[in-house]
Amino acid sequence: MGFERAGWRFVRAGALLVAGALVLAACSSSPSPKTQPLKTLTIGSSNVFPPTLDLTANASQAIDEVIDYNVLQHLVELAPNGKIVPVLATSWTSSPSYGAPSSYTFTIRKGVKFSNGDPLTPADVVFSLKRVFAPGSTYPYTKIFDASSVTQVGSDQVKVTLQSPSWEWLYNLAAYSNGVILDPSAISSMATDPVGTGPFKVTGETTNYSVTLARNNLYWGYKPNVAGVVFRYFTNPNDLNSALQSGQINMIDNLSTPQDLGLFKSNPAYRVIAGLTNGKVQMTLNNAYGPLQNKLVRQAILYATDKKAIIQAASGGYGLAAGSDTVPADPFYVNLSNAYPYNPTKAKQLLTEAGYPNGFSLALTLPPYFYAQLAAPLIVSELGAVGIKVTVSTIDFPLWISQVFEGGAYQATIIDHAEGRDIGNYGTTGYYWHYAKTSQVAQELTAANAAPTEAQWISGYQKVLRQITADAVNDWIYIIPDLTVAQKDIVGLSSTAYTESFNLTYVGIGGTVPASARALGYTS
Amino acid sequence: MAGSPLLPAEDAPDRRDLAFLRFLARRLVAMVLTLFGASVLVFTVLNILPGSPAQVILGTQATPASVRELTIKLGLNQPLPLQYLHWIAGLLSLHLGNSYISGQPIAPELEAALAVTGPLVALGLLFGLAIAVPTGILSALRHRRASGAWLAAATQVGIAIPNFVLGILLIIVVAVDWRLLPASGFIPWSQSVGGALRSLVLPAISLGLVEGAILSRYVRTAILGVMRADYLRTARAKGLPAGRALVRHGVRNASVPVLTVLGLELSGLIIGAVVIEAVFTLPGVGSLLLSSVANRDLITVQDIVMLVATVVVVANLVVDLLYRIVDPRLEVGG
Repeated sequence: MGFERAGWRFVRAGALLVAGALVLAACSSSPSPKTQPLKTLTIGSSNVFPPTLDLTANASQAIDEVIDYNVLQHLVELAPNGKIVPVLATSWTSSPSYGAPSSYTFTIRKGVKFSNGDPLTPADVVFSLKRVFAPGSTYPYTKIFDASSVTQVGSDQVKVTLQSPSWEWLYNLAAYSNGVILDPSAISSMATDPVGTGPFKVTGETTNYSVTLARNNLYWGYKPNVAGVVFRYFTNPNDLNSALQSGQINMIDNLSTPQDLGLFKSNPAYRVIAGLTNGKVQMTLNNAYGPLQNKLVRQAILYATDKKAIIQAASGGYGLAAGSDTVPADPFYVNLSNAYPYNPTKAKQLLTEAGYPNGFSLALTLPPYFYAQLAAPLIVSELGAVGIKVTVSTIDFPLWISQVFEGGAYQATIIDHAEGRDIGNYGTTGYYWHYAKTSQVAQELTAANAAPTEAQWISGYQKVLRQITADAVNDWIYIIPDLTVAQKDIVGLSSTAYTESFNLTYVGIGGTVPASARALGYTS
Repeated sequence: MAGSPLLPAEDAPDRRDLAFLRFLARRLVAMVLTLFGASVLVFTVLNILPGSPAQVILGTQATPASVRELTIKLGLNQPLPLQYLHWIAGLLSLHLGNSYISGQPIAPELEAALAVTGPLVALGLLFGLAIAVPTGILSALRHRRASGAWLAAATQVGIAIPNFVLGILLIIVVAVDWRLLPASGFIPWSQSVGGALRSLVLPAISLGLVEGAILSRYVRTAILGVMRADYLRTARAKGLPAGRALVRHGVRNASVPVLTVLGLELSGLIIGAVVIEAVFTLPGVGSLLLSSVANRDLITVQDIVMLVATVVVVANLVVDLLYRIVDPRLEVGG
């Protein structure tokens, strides 16, 4: 029939059009890269795109990942091995000479320039540190706010006086992005082009896609062996993995789905760095809610939790069992992960003793993160086995903050407490787990911080750790690892993730890393 | 158009123009009312949404005092009707405002995102049409044959596959295994036009195939309808070859119902683009929308939703106008 022949003509025309478009697009290959000695490193990030590049105006960890240490530097920073190292200060002293430090005097490094050419002066340091606790400050962490004065001393020194003596202040200055030193004349451009003294400077960004850094040629220290670094953002772990497999990116900052590690672990083209973090994944228990007010019930929940099984399911076997609010990098670390060994029988006994022989119902409200989503099914079945009927719901993070964290309208949740040395939360009035002994812990922590010797400070903190574990305030499950997957030839990466910065100070594509850097925990 | 068999008895041209203007005016008023309703709805719903921008900005370490301070600074302590008026007044004078989160103007960000989503939707539509028209016509022409049944079955499969599944399949096969096209990402137009097109090929196919399959069903039905019409038999009888008869007398008549669906499909394509952009990590309007919701950057969300609403409403108006060009018999009043 005639109509049919005519029909095929339409199909051919359409097919030709599509094929033509495909061929055209496939053939118009991008221009071949110019031959240059230094290559650009592209990092696929599982983080959200930074909402702004001003880390003093927003709490998003995604900003710190890119900007902290790499673009903006501190007087002192935390090396991958956990040591505090001099950066923009060449040295420091503390006073009094005996007892907890109540003031620090830093000698500022000479000859340092910001990436825009401005010289670094002690006045810049005073400006930056005072800005942290100035009225209307939006600095995200409560850390280092407790300085009472910052003054210049002589021509090259800055003295910081603390509100109260503290063994922790210097660590906070090093580890938290509040400690960044800024160029006072470049504050207005912080949101898009933060100007710092670091090895890199920001050269561009595409919203929801990428942030581009170039090597800072005015940098005073070791020059990384790359022309620049591009952070590219992926919302979907499958796309992130595909991008590394197809060679579009050189590495993944942190594999959020550890079950995908099999794709890379046995492939000689890649290296996997499983670095410890400060992140404590825990099932937070609302100590003010019904049955959870009873310590025996909380202890029963801890006995009913099989940490090993959860680490296997949620973290691919990587990570360390946790038993309190501490990680091995803390000077006061004590391993309490065996305080409540997995024992469903014991859990049932405790529930009966507490007056819940038939268990009770518990609502578990989750943030949308993989670790929580992966751990929840095991929690449901493990608690179910001892009679606690868990119902799970997931909410987005802003809602989690307002409903669970601020509002306290929850029974239990699973969350990664990512901050280092955040034991102070147990002494914070009104904190969302509503621990009954909050004020007692606050006093103990203050007393420990004022202790005359470091050893006494440490033992004071350990006492608090043992106390909260004995009270089973929360169900600490594991210390979450940072799983970096990189092409084999990427060197100079941080072997741990104890800060929120993705530390690129010694990064390189090929080449060697100085021995001094390797000693600090950068990979070779 | 003169001489077309579809043309009714000629009206006096000025009377028809006047009627057309009246029609256009009525449609424009309806459009403004729709957009006004949409703006009230969007604003209300977003402001009911729990989770304050100030709290998200300052994070879990914030003190209540600092959250309060920032809320005032952002103007979020003002009564809601006042906030709404501020926003609408801004939109009417074409000021999209500044993002709550970054403090930067929204317009350039939205512009950059449109440079991705606009071409993506256009390519998706082109691709969909390139599939729908030929397969629809062919499966209509062969509707009593096995090959027609196969084509119809194939389009059913096309409708059944969600676009994101197709996207993931294409990534695995074309990008990861064959390494023909990029798995994800976008090269800016300013850097390389070819590169930008290459980044959009797989997303446009994922987007267009499903819409094309749906559209193909409508084309098939419409063509079947005109094939049975007397005038086509007459055209054949007077000696026109089958193809010419269909092109000259059939396609235009068949295109009226297809146009209706096409107008609806456009909104489907825009919504599909939100998903596809997430799959291919394209920095488009969809990604901007999702991240703004997650950050509680309410004003950016409001602006984007209003933009999409405007596009859809305008597209529907254009479809209505096209009807009248395609089929002048459609008289004023409808």
